[in-house]
Amino acid sequence: MTAPPLLEVRGLRVEIPLPGGTTRPVRRVDFSVAAGETLAIVGESGCGKSLTSLAIMGLLPRAARLTAEAIALGGRSLLGLSEAAWRRLRGERIAMIFQDPMTALDPCYRIGDQMTEVLRQHRPVSAEAARRRALELLGRVGISSPEQRLTQFPHQLSGGLRQRVMIAMALLCEPELIIADEPTTALDVTIQAQILHLLAEIQRDTGIGLILISHDLGVVAGVAHRIAVMYGGEIVEIGERDAILGKPLHPYTEGLMRSIPVPGETRRGETLGFIPGTVSRQAGELTRCGFIDRCPYANARSAAGAVPLSPAPDGRLVRCVLPLDGSGRDAGAWTRLVEGV
Amino acid sequence: MPPDVLAVRGAAKTYAVGRALLGAGGTLQALRGIDLVVRKGETLGLVGESGCGKSTLARLILGIEAPTAGTVTLAGRPVGAYGRLERAKLVQPVFQDPYSSLNPRMRIARIVAAPLEVRGVGSASWRRERVRAIMDAVGLPGHFIGVYPSQLSGGQRQRVAIARALVGEPEILVCDEPTSALDVSVQSQILNLLARLKRELGLTLILISHNLAVVHHLADHVAVMYLGRIVEHGPTEAIFEGPRHPYTAALLASVLSPRPGARLPEIRVGAEFPSPLAPPPGCAFHPRCPRAGDGCTSIDPEETRDGSSGFRCHYPLPRGGT
Repeated sequence: MTAPPLLEVRGLRVEIPLPGGTTRPVRRVDFSVAAGETLAIVGESGCGKSLTSLAIMGLLPRAARLTAEAIALGGRSLLGLSEAAWRRLRGERIAMIFQDPMTALDPCYRIGDQMTEVLRQHRPVSAEAARRRALELLGRVGISSPEQRLTQFPHQLSGGLRQRVMIAMALLCEPELIIADEPTTALDVTIQAQILHLLAEIQRDTGIGLILISHDLGVVAGVAHRIAVMYGGEIVEIGERDAILGKPLHPYTEGLMRSIPVPGETRRGETLGFIPGTVSRQAGELTRCGFIDRCPYANARSAAGAVPLSPAPDGRLVRCVLPLDGSGRDAGAWTRLVEGV
Repeated sequence: MPPDVLAVRGAAKTYAVGRALLGAGGTLQALRGIDLVVRKGETLGLVGESGCGKSTLARLILGIEAPTAGTVTLAGRPVGAYGRLERAKLVQPVFQDPYSSLNPRMRIARIVAAPLEVRGVGSASWRRERVRAIMDAVGLPGHFIGVYPSQLSGGQRQRVAIARALVGEPEILVCDEPTSALDVSVQSQILNLLARLKRELGLTLILISHNLAVVHHLADHVAVMYLGRIVEHGPTEAIFEGPRHPYTAALLASVLSPRPGARLPEIRVGAEFPSPLAPPPGCAFHPRCPRAGDGCTSIDPEETRDGSSGFRCHYPLPRGGT
């Protein structure tokens, strides 16, 4: 690779000291995002995907302890920035889009005031210039009659419109990186597809880097270039989208894919795959595979020590002791689970 | 043919909103004439976007609210004619969020036994046996009877909610987004459980969901709601393979596939959901409809019947799929 990636995260850990011992919601996470690329971070609740994004934004809760070998944006380290430096950076170089625009927008201020305030925090522009920029961006995100919207309050807009406003606000200062955390989860399905189109289109046109955090593999399939699957605070599989969706190599990814009913493919009432057990809380450092308790393929090597990410023949990285050409898996294991044998 | 367990005829529900008392408010028409029939052992999937009235319809079926017009009949009698406990014997809900639908201060045994206790069914030892049996049926280990909801995972809590709903052997289970709050891998276990209970107990299920894949997986019949109306209904396969209403087609197109090579679907309906305070004249879907033409803005389409299916549209999609 010649140019450094837009965002580089290396050895990211988040620890939260609690009276009963320290929990480690994010353990050694490494990834990078190139300009113009969409990386999806996929995983279920508690896998550490949201804390990872908050760490990149400098928004971790006070109690959390962050350590990392590197977090760098455009070659500049984000480690150890002052709160004032973070405030300049957020909105200006990294923007975030949250799941629920109703809580992310201030209910007491008009849309126009909220948008121009963000811009004027970062740029020495006149009120009129800020208003023109806000109008331009509302038009850009497909909002009709933007003049009228500027004077409205968040509660007067539908959920889809509010999320469009959030996207417009994220674009105000032309950031290099946008982190979208479950941006369509609170929206209706027809609106969801439209918002995802908008994000993909903006990303294509502006060449920003996009991190899309989602639990929904359908959302990810339509938008992402690369996918990172997280489980128990670790990335367990990361690589090209179609490679991972076409043939997941980590048993957790495989379990997720088997769990989803797909109209036209799964038969009605057919017994779906599932992942047995629940996320185990392993407080200390991992001394074995983090997925071992729930894995139908687990063997003696899974318990032999912490499992590193290793390259598969197609270039993706997988954290698993099984052969990474896909062999050595007993395909009947999932079926037997389902049948309770 | 199995008997009708549930029949809804011309049901409407309006709410006065704003300053109705001062004459300055409006009327919110949550349901505008709903007809549907559910037979014993059948699963009806209710789909539609937020604000379409699907949860209001569930409240009418559960007897939590009474229709403003029309009737809701459970096992041959109007819902309103039953006492609270009689109704609880007939129909039970399962809600979306198993974190808020279970009392955190009660042990699982008491939560599951509650529907029997309030009705005073059987002796204490009989109730204990019954609780054990139903917990076993929904896949909860016996030692859970002594624990509190906070000690269980989301999927286990939803199993508790299902056990509580089933313990009194109701005629109908109303599941409002039963898997939406759960993680994907857990969601499939609850879907498997509902499918098995349906098969083994002949459960009659009203399944409300915005997730069409979930509805496709469980429902025998589907009713698509839009702004207080059922705009299309029919057997699940017919609806999914050959939707006639443009709104149904748009909903189906919006299902995102997790397969490689999947692209974002093109949704050709407008983004703005109209206000239920002022439904558009004519067909309520016309402002968003890509097929709207003459008459759609003024004439409310009547239902067109086609075998066991029906739809309300002046310009339906051709029969036999798109």
